[in-house]
Amino acid sequence: MISVVDLRKDYRIGDHVVRALGGVTLDIAAGEFVTIVGPSGSGKSTFMHIVGCLDRPTSGEYRLAGRDVSALASDELARVRNETIGFVFQGFNLLPRTTALENVELPLLYTRAGVVRAAARRARAMEALDMVGLTDRAEHHPNQLSGGQQQRVAIARALVNRPAVLLADEPTGNLDTATSHEVMEIFSALRRDHGLTILVITHERDIAAYGTRTIDFRDGLVVADTRHDAHSVAASGR
Amino acid sequence: MRTLWRHPVVESAVRALARNRLQTLLTMLGITAGVATVLAMMAVGAGAQRAIDQQVRAAGLNQITIRAGNWRPRQEDTGEAIAHQGDARETIRHPLLRSRDVLPIAFHPEDDPMEKHDHPTARQRLGDIEAGLGSAATLSFADAEAIRSLPGVQYVACGIHENARVYYGDRRWFTRMHGTDVELPSIKRAWTFRSGRFFTAREQRAAAQVLVVGQVVADRLFGAGVDPVGREVRVWNQAFEVVGVITSATWVVQPAPGDDQFDAVYMPYTTTHRLLNLSKLNDITVTAASSGHVTALAREITTLLRRRHGIGDAQPDDFTVFTQATRALTTGGLPPSVARAVAGNVAELERVTLQQLAHTLERAGRTMTWLLAGIAAVSLLVGGIGIMNITLLSVTERTREIGLRLAVGARGRDVLYQFLAEATVLSLAGGAAGIVLGIAASVLISRTLQWATIVSPLSIVLACGVAAAVGIFFGWYPARRASRLDPIVALRRE
Repeated sequence: MISVVDLRKDYRIGDHVVRALGGVTLDIAAGEFVTIVGPSGSGKSTFMHIVGCLDRPTSGEYRLAGRDVSALASDELARVRNETIGFVFQGFNLLPRTTALENVELPLLYTRAGVVRAAARRARAMEALDMVGLTDRAEHHPNQLSGGQQQRVAIARALVNRPAVLLADEPTGNLDTATSHEVMEIFSALRRDHGLTILVITHERDIAAYGTRTIDFRDGLVVADTRHDAHSVAASGR
Repeated sequence: MRTLWRHPVVESAVRALARNRLQTLLTMLGITAGVATVLAMMAVGAGAQRAIDQQVRAAGLNQITIRAGNWRPRQEDTGEAIAHQGDARETIRHPLLRSRDVLPIAFHPEDDPMEKHDHPTARQRLGDIEAGLGSAATLSFADAEAIRSLPGVQYVACGIHENARVYYGDRRWFTRMHGTDVELPSIKRAWTFRSGRFFTAREQRAAAQVLVVGQVVADRLFGAGVDPVGREVRVWNQAFEVVGVITSATWVVQPAPGDDQFDAVYMPYTTTHRLLNLSKLNDITVTAASSGHVTALAREITTLLRRRHGIGDAQPDDFTVFTQATRALTTGGLPPSVARAVAGNVAELERVTLQQLAHTLERAGRTMTWLLAGIAAVSLLVGGIGIMNITLLSVTERTREIGLRLAVGARGRDVLYQFLAEATVLSLAGGAAGIVLGIAASVLISRTLQWATIVSPLSIVLACGVAAAVGIFFGWYPARRASRLDPIVALRRE
């Protein structure tokens, strides 16, 4: 599903060139639940931004679902984000004073075919809310929902356009332990029931344990790649 | 329109604006003031323009008369210096036809009110050379229709003019009879109906025996203060129904015996044709849509008629084109001898200055409109900057939202449209309020200051357009900025 070869990303800050990614080569198959761990500045967020088509690599190749997306124009990247990728953020990023349902509908305003008709939009948003078990909160505004509920609304929003890949950048960072596990359970269920490919960035080892595979980043490189299923360990080199 | 209103981009714009009601309202105020100024100023400008135009028209400056034959008042006394003062001179005279070549005016034998004749003799009819009309009856209906189709022509009325005795019971009155056209009241702006109406197009088509009488005739035949509408009078031993009484609309012109306008009766020219068995016209009266175009139009009419009449280059016209000023002096209330003297000495000068006056008035009106437009532009600029400011603020406040929208698949242009829509909705809402306020202001101005104001549908459309344009123009920069945000940076912004 996701295939990167020698992915590099440099940032220029004044006269300094900061190397965020120093050549990452990875293959993530469809249906894998990958957790990404590593200290701050290890390049894991940069990696996720490139995988999520929010950013382009300085060099290297990135194939998403068999398609080379490393050199696409920004409008085409927007389309890929809309159709293939769902994002979940640490800060939920729900629109204030807007109902949960309308928040979930948001990606449907930007589809290839134009704006989805209101009735269809509503139906698909309800369907997505059902996947995270929040149909009864559809008309609530974000400030009427708990943190866990807000994050579930955000997950529903990521799901509404039926993406192949779900990317979550520290989705549990603002949640207490119990709620964090609830959210991770939802991710597990989505992988199990719908075959979604999921990437989750986290700081916490117990959260990382939900993945079928854990990738360690350090200084812009992959330092460990562990599979937790049957055969378990398989280190893919640098 | 409904679907546009329900369009998510517009909906979200409205919602975003509703979130900050006070800010939205304050920003709208700038545009409201601007649009209201535009509208009020345009209303005042248009009102002033119309007032000027009406005065000019009431003075008959936009009138052109084409008379059959090429006789004209004596002009030997007109100095060449005066004659060459303005180019307007060419409008009434063919270059080949100098004033000294033409015959002096002859008295129409029927102008003598003491002469007894109750039925028109052959001499009274058109085409009668002995009647002193120079050459011949040359103007036809087709000519009138051809003139009607010229650009810049406002109204056309054909005319047949005779003297006639009008009988009511045992009373009679010798007066002027005009066979004319339904459009005449539109041309004679200084007219008003004391009672009744003018004859209708249907009556004209049917050559009905209906008569509109001037106030002088009405007073003489029926007695002062009696409403003659519906009474039956006799002309040429034919029964006519009186349908209306006309009188002067201004104090400047008072109805007087022998004045040719209010001491006169009017009937459809078709009726005159039928009863007198005529096929030609004495004259055709034309008004130009704009008083500034009289000169050009008179020239066009001359060319047109020369072509229609098959007049060769070396031949003189068989008709005469007058503009109103000369005509007012040679006809109307003045005794013919005085009129001739005045026309001979002053006509050219007077006409030139009147035309210049019309030009000057039009120019002054335009200047005023531009000045007012300038004031309105400044207030709109201020309003526009207000919109730019609030839209920039909105972009800054909602950077994370922009980042999120980009992350879920919005393209740069989607974000651009969203903020443009917001700015435009804002300015249109302000504009709508401004239109209401502007109309109210116009009404107030005309009530308190007694200024004429006209709020035309066009000015409302224009005001809406201006409001939308301001929104798009001043919303463009912030919207552009929003659309160019890097989604990663935008998402990180707190």
